[in-house]
Amino acid sequence: MLKKSLYLIISILIATVLVVLQTTLSNLIWLSSIDMPVSIGLVLNTFFADLIGMNLGGAIPLVGLVAAGMLIAYGVTLILLIWIDTRKSYAYALAGAAAILAIVLLMPLAFYNLDLIAGARTTLGKTILILCGLLSGYYFGSKIENKE
Amino acid sequence: MRNLKVLFLFIFSALCLNLSAEDFEYKVIAKDLSHPWGIAMIDDNNILFTELSGQLRRIKDGTLEKGSISGVPEVLFAGQGGLSGIILDPDFNENNKIYIAFSSPDEGKSTNTLEVISAILDSNSLTNITTIFKASPSRRTAAHYGARMAFLDDGTLLITSGDGFNYREQAQDLDNHFGKVIRINTDGSIPSDNPYTGQDGALPEIYSYGHRNLQGIVVANGFIYENEHGPMGGDELNIVEPAKNYGWPAITYGKDYSGAMISPFTQKEGMEQPVKYWVPSIAPSGMTFYDKDLFSNWKGNLFISALVPGDVRRLVISDFKVIEEETLFSDLGRIRDIVTSPNGTLVLATDGPSGQLIRVQPK
Repeated sequence: MLKKSLYLIISILIATVLVVLQTTLSNLIWLSSIDMPVSIGLVLNTFFADLIGMNLGGAIPLVGLVAAGMLIAYGVTLILLIWIDTRKSYAYALAGAAAILAIVLLMPLAFYNLDLIAGARTTLGKTILILCGLLSGYYFGSKIENKE
Repeated sequence: MRNLKVLFLFIFSALCLNLSAEDFEYKVIAKDLSHPWGIAMIDDNNILFTELSGQLRRIKDGTLEKGSISGVPEVLFAGQGGLSGIILDPDFNENNKIYIAFSSPDEGKSTNTLEVISAILDSNSLTNITTIFKASPSRRTAAHYGARMAFLDDGTLLITSGDGFNYREQAQDLDNHFGKVIRINTDGSIPSDNPYTGQDGALPEIYSYGHRNLQGIVVANGFIYENEHGPMGGDELNIVEPAKNYGWPAITYGKDYSGAMISPFTQKEGMEQPVKYWVPSIAPSGMTFYDKDLFSNWKGNLFISALVPGDVRRLVISDFKVIEEETLFSDLGRIRDIVTSPNGTLVLATDGPSGQLIRVQPK
């Protein structure tokens, strides 16, 4: 149980870090495209600033949002797996993707179609974020599989 | 002896403070208003104002008329959208012409855009309604419209067009209306001396660019003052000049609502610095330049109404710098607009579903 909880926390952290990274990079890639002086050092500084800012300085702490989404999605998956016979790594990967999908689709509905996560403003951005959820879910599912 | 010096210093400071202070009182002109947004003074006792929810209303001879003025086009009242900016034609006394900016739903689509109409105020209805500007492209969002207007001395009309929130990067491109100050003639045509006239890939009605959500614009003493909301921090007061780039979102003093950096840069060559910026945000809204004698100590000052926490900032500007800032009227809540009445009183609109129009007058 303790190990499963640890995997869950790591899974949430993976998704959170990847979402932050996607946000940082999408901003900086655009800035670079208009000839702003973006260096590797600046990328790292901005990423760490975003990691802190998006989790401690924003309107909603990202890690809390991701945790809420993941907990619901993983909970539903746990129940569905009672009846559905499939690999847990795949099932939880889908759950992770669904969690992020719900976040990027539902948040704008609550805020006049505004995408508060800047990286989610384009279809490509949304897709990458969903893949981040997929990866973190896959990590969680595969760890549980290995444990069993 | 030391105590005496302190006493003299205290008396001197108090006298100095009193020199800039004005004794004023509030008088509620109208109450129970539905999100009052823009005010246009016909004269001291006759006022037109918009309610974001879609009504154009009038105070006639000092009394709020019960109904609203008919003929107002359909507006999208959602988020920050609705019936917004209003301005009288410079020759209003002769032609009864007004201009209104609002969020306009695209027919049969889920998109909307900023639209500006001219119309004749004929008794209690609008006639001769003509669309003179429609921002392009449309947006899915209901935020960051700008929607304020001001006349230049040459009779051309400036319109503020916000970045639509989701489309902030487009404020740096000249092929769209997101994050721009627009300059047009009152019939909707484009002045031939606009800065981008004839430039390939640029819309000729653009006057300046790189703005976010421009909520106040005023022309005074040959300068165009413009204020705009930053995100979390980074609200700005700018002096707008043609063809200048005000930097959003490439340079900013604010952060995204998510807590992420929008840009790690605050300055770059070729991008203008604000005259003043606010961190944390004050959410500037309307703006007026006080050029009357009634409050003589305030003559020549800029007044910016603010939504957060809710007050008015009196700014003394000298040589493109704010040299003094005073917070006023902080007991009224969120203030959406501020105008100067011909007699020198100030008229404020408080924000929200039970908004008020309040006159600030000498005690």
